[in-house]
Amino acid sequence: MTAHSTLIDRHERRWIAISAALLASFAVLIGIAGFALGVQVPTLEQRVDPAKLNEDPVWSQPGVREIVPGRKYEVYIIAQTWMFVPREIVVPAGAKVTFYVTSRDIQHGFKVLDTDLNVQVIPGYVGKLSYTFKEPGEYKFICTEYCGLGHAAMAGVIKVVPPEEYQSSQ
Amino acid sequence: MNRAFIWITRGVYTFFGLVFVSVVAFKVFQPVQVLPRIRLGPGYWLLDQDGQRLTNEDMRGKVVLYSFLYTRCPGDCYGIVPLLQKVQVQGPQIMGDIPFAIVTITLDPAHDTPEVLKAYAQQVGAQPGLWYFATHPDPKRLKLIVGAGFGVWYEPQPDGSVRFAPRYVLVDGWGIVRGDYKYETIASTEERILRHLGVLAEEIQNSQGSAKLAYEAAHFFLCYAP
Repeated sequence: MTAHSTLIDRHERRWIAISAALLASFAVLIGIAGFALGVQVPTLEQRVDPAKLNEDPVWSQPGVREIVPGRKYEVYIIAQTWMFVPREIVVPAGAKVTFYVTSRDIQHGFKVLDTDLNVQVIPGYVGKLSYTFKEPGEYKFICTEYCGLGHAAMAGVIKVVPPEEYQSSQ
Repeated sequence: MNRAFIWITRGVYTFFGLVFVSVVAFKVFQPVQVLPRIRLGPGYWLLDQDGQRLTNEDMRGKVVLYSFLYTRCPGDCYGIVPLLQKVQVQGPQIMGDIPFAIVTITLDPAHDTPEVLKAYAQQVGAQPGLWYFATHPDPKRLKLIVGAGFGVWYEPQPDGSVRFAPRYVLVDGWGIVRGDYKYETIASTEERILRHLGVLAEEIQNSQGSAKLAYEAAHFFLCYAP
């Protein structure tokens, strides 16, 4: 008998190994989800004062901002009872769109259907998410946090148009 | 044999336990705070208010606060001018021996020629060699530098005004973006910029020898100054 086997029972050691392997495989899966599948944990970028959103030159004019024509866009969205401002967003296909979302009043949710864009919209915080819409089409976004009577009606749409069409509409 | 093995095992456990505790303590108490290394700042060439070429390479070795406005911007231009006037005074004091500059890039290149910028610089009390105003003869190029390079949005309007929002980008002497101020937060932008200059100055001065390890650890564990 070796020193090892006197300290830890053979079966126990086997189960420890299985547990360690499980943990290691979870770590690998998280890595694959994050880097290969692009699953993103939405980050809360900054803290803002919800009462002063109207005074801020950025939040007082929410909507789409063209950073690099056809390639890079920013979208500022304010969630409030019971609507998103703005409700309709138009961006070109193939461009990287970064969303900044905050709430004016209570907690809301922001989820773009058929994408991995999903963030809790907490008053006082700004959620930041990025996505590249490869295919033209309409992508609905909805509130995923029950926020009162009009919750079910709280939705909007992202219209992703072909780049040529987008440029000619500007 | 058994006894020795037990002691070795205990030693190994204690070692990893201590490492774990100190990592958690470092992250929780954050004895060292840094500014994030956000991305590489853009390469560019511009014309300053004297019509001289101003490039990102000229700014290498300097901590630079970039800001964006146009001279016909009404009033104090969203408070950008008073903020920069304050940074112009307090910035060099905070930075001490570390070279520091402010570069304000115009968003209206058609109107804001170097001559116009020079007059504007004098009007706002910009100190030559510290606070630069810059433009680019080609509006498309400027859009690339400001948009693709600095990630800043602006839209020229038919009436000659420019739609934009105040934005400040802090770049260190290695050309790495260390601060990006997009909108007003709980702490005002002015307060954050001045505080961050202090944090950056401290890192540049102290991050040498073994202390460099602590600063690198602060980067690794995301101990960022709020």
